[in-house]
Amino acid sequence: MNLSRRAFLVFYRNLVSYKRFVVSTFIASLIQPLFYLITFGIGMGAYMGAFGGKTYLSFLVPGVLITSVMMSSTFESLYGAFVKMIHEKLYDSLIATPVSAEDAIAGDILWGAFRGLISGVLMMAVAFFMGVFPVSLPAGLLLCVLMVLIGIMFGSMAMIVTSYAPNFDFFNYYTELVITPMLFFSGVFFPLDHFPAWMKTLAQFLPLTHAVQVSRAVYAGVYTKNLVLNLAFILALTAIAFWFGVGRMKKRLIK
Amino acid sequence: MATIIKADGLTKKFGDLTAVDGISFEIREGECFGFLGPNGAGKTSTVRMIHCVSPITSGTIFVGGLPANVDNRKIKAMTGVVPQEITLDNDLTVFENMMVFSKFFDIPRREARKRTDELIAFVELEAKRDNKISELSTGMKRRLLVARALLNKPSLIIADEPTTGLDPQARHLIWQRLRLLKSQGTTLILTTQYMEEAQQLCDRLVIMNEGKILIGGSPRQLIDDEIGREVVEIRIDAKEDPHLIAELGPFARGHERAGDTLFFYCRDGREIQKKLVELDLPNTVHRPATLEDVFLKLTGRSLIE
Repeated sequence: MNLSRRAFLVFYRNLVSYKRFVVSTFIASLIQPLFYLITFGIGMGAYMGAFGGKTYLSFLVPGVLITSVMMSSTFESLYGAFVKMIHEKLYDSLIATPVSAEDAIAGDILWGAFRGLISGVLMMAVAFFMGVFPVSLPAGLLLCVLMVLIGIMFGSMAMIVTSYAPNFDFFNYYTELVITPMLFFSGVFFPLDHFPAWMKTLAQFLPLTHAVQVSRAVYAGVYTKNLVLNLAFILALTAIAFWFGVGRMKKRLIK
Repeated sequence: MATIIKADGLTKKFGDLTAVDGISFEIREGECFGFLGPNGAGKTSTVRMIHCVSPITSGTIFVGGLPANVDNRKIKAMTGVVPQEITLDNDLTVFENMMVFSKFFDIPRREARKRTDELIAFVELEAKRDNKISELSTGMKRRLLVARALLNKPSLIIADEPTTGLDPQARHLIWQRLRLLKSQGTTLILTTQYMEEAQQLCDRLVIMNEGKILIGGSPRQLIDDEIGREVVEIRIDAKEDPHLIAELGPFARGHERAGDTLFFYCRDGREIQKKLVELDLPNTVHRPATLEDVFLKLTGRSLIE
């Protein structure tokens, strides 16, 4: 793996080009999670009463927040990277400079994670005004660090998909068969407790489950032993997906 | 002149397809070296291996004494690439494209700004400095690609079909700029399928076909060796060939039939000219020999699919 600090230059390139799209992407990455919060959180939450001693909204926020991190970083690595690779040939011009293919891909995964962080922080701000916030400021900052890690994980996973993608349609398999189911089986909208055993087991293999549990723990400031397992899962998957995603994309870029 | 690039037994395979088939060549410092050939001849595959963006299947290339391979950042740092496809950053302006690119070469900001302004002027794009790439014509985009390739003050420039799809004005401007760079001592590698371009720019060239080098030398020498000085084309039915070859053959170095035309290659066409008048043939052309004749003679005048 020929990775260097130049990955950050690729990140910088994205930052420069991003200026123009700030407003539109802010809105885009806010709208859907915001709908979840309003409809489920406030609308449905009104029927739910106390939810483990708290409002339903306070249960929902950490999950929806981490989901928006997942969505932003995933889409950046799917559509963003595919356009740069196939349509704009941007990677070709990058790798003709001292930037290596690994730098270029790592820089873009990092960028996706940054986009995820922005989405997550925006959600945090919105939830703040709805009266839901992390237990303390340090907890909030810790969550930001974890959002970057989780963004790298989902971005790397999506990069693997992109490395095999012949066209845009291919991404539907991933979003419909992996991302969407994860949204419903990872305990974002309701606890996993009442699922049958096999579904609980299945959920343990979904990265979003672990990400949601981490987010919820940090929000509440309740750190259990289970959290170590969640983090271990996330770290291991991030390392594997990053290594594999970058390696696969290199093969595709350098022929 | 010192050798800057040396390739030995260079081979590139994509699965079963052999794109470059064990070629060897040397490029000297300060010259313009051309790779000529039809589509799929292996030109682009060859230069991609030189500037370290394509793994070498077998054989070696040394660039400035360094072995070329995909992880060699030093070679990439001393090379400027004008790519075949337009790989500009569509989200950025002309100025931003240059500035962002300069980062990849670790050029300090102040210096990058200075070079960007100079290079934008060099390719006459001052008026478009703050325009987005989508607002440029193809010719402007290609000029910007040339400017971008010069940001790192490369000692080696690789131009991969730099004028494809351009109108004559834009083409000539790019040629002038490339010649200017060469006169300043930069080594230039050019791939092209335009014979005129090769004749205009190259000191030496090789003609490639199906992954192999067919022949190499200076354009003048290649034309002299392979064709002569002049070419006579006669558009006539093939059944006349034996008769015409008997009449004109003695004055020519060689002849060739391609489609509806019979070609005679000669050193001095005056004798043939006289004969043509005697024979009173209607459709004849008498013209100087060009690189295109060499090219077509070697790669075949029939269509290459």
